[in-house]
Amino acid sequence: MILADTVITYAQAIILGLLQGVTELFPISSLGHSVILPQLFGWDIHQNDDYFITFLVATHLATAIVLFFFFLKDWIRILRGLGRSLRDRGIAPDDADAKLGWLLVVGTIPAGVLGLLLEHTLRGAFASALSASIFLVCNGLLLFGAEALRRRAPQTADDDDTRIARQMSFLQSFGVGAAQAIALIPGFSRSGAAIGGGLLVGLSHKDAARFAFLLATPIIGAAAILKLPELAGAQGDGIRGQALVAALCSGATAYLAVRFLMKYFETRTLIPFAVWCVTFGGACTVYFVVS
Amino acid sequence: MNTKHPALTWIALATGIALIVLAVVYWIEPASGLPSFIPGHEAGSSHHHIKHGIAAFFVGVALLVYAWFQTGDKKQATPAT
Repeated sequence: MILADTVITYAQAIILGLLQGVTELFPISSLGHSVILPQLFGWDIHQNDDYFITFLVATHLATAIVLFFFFLKDWIRILRGLGRSLRDRGIAPDDADAKLGWLLVVGTIPAGVLGLLLEHTLRGAFASALSASIFLVCNGLLLFGAEALRRRAPQTADDDDTRIARQMSFLQSFGVGAAQAIALIPGFSRSGAAIGGGLLVGLSHKDAARFAFLLATPIIGAAAILKLPELAGAQGDGIRGQALVAALCSGATAYLAVRFLMKYFETRTLIPFAVWCVTFGGACTVYFVVS
Repeated sequence: MNTKHPALTWIALATGIALIVLAVVYWIEPASGLPSFIPGHEAGSSHHHIKHGIAAFFVGVALLVYAWFQTGDKKQATPAT
């Protein structure tokens, strides 16, 4: 058995945790970066090693907890709305919380089902740093495409959740949720797919980001909780300390990232992230091919 | 049953229950014990398809919720519309 503490040091855990918190929410693929950077730094860490997947569980859980508490007031309203609609056996036309809640449920189903069924296969097939670099370029092109094709959001005085509930249909939410499954391939971004999908159905950048983060919370949290027993079991031996440190770092940067992004998307676009993905992914592709 | 689309409601109800039963089968039966027509069947394997079960369970619950909404007030919107 590989002893994890001989492979992941505390310094590496801090760097990976800080990186994970940012890249999980920025539309630049956390999985892609966690495959590429260890290879660039010459670390003997591989994406498909059991101990590394177990290590990442802790950082994902921290990100999900941060997201949940960041949007806690929204979640309380959404859960109440879901309860009201179940009680009334329908969604009242003016109940934006209930509509948003069911939009999130409908969007979570395809992402969750595809994730459960395809994660192992896709990760195994595309785990190399070279393929992650190439797909990172593709992710950048997708972000450019979403910006080019986006429908202009109507300006209304409604609050954020009401705007999303009015603008988005259940079919569109299903599509945005399914689009997130592309992030199972290292290099593609879950939040990028969700924000891009939101733009395509006519949400503003801010609303698309808000919907993407709400949609991400149950998916990231459930995936982490599903694998949490592995961290407590034999696969977590020698790695729990590093995982805890990484989780704290990840939680801190995830909080800063979501706060920054919610402000950023009030006025800005996906273009800088697209430029980063194309240039960094392109440079890494050339480097890995040459080396 | 006062439903908006009676046929769809019954189909959703039956499929939802079937998927929840399938989920339980995935959880308790190893891959070798699954009927051969069910995805995940693997002769000689002792692996349990826990994730397949979770996926089947949640889709089943979603279909039951859909059926539940279909029995509600016709004036209200539902997730299916």
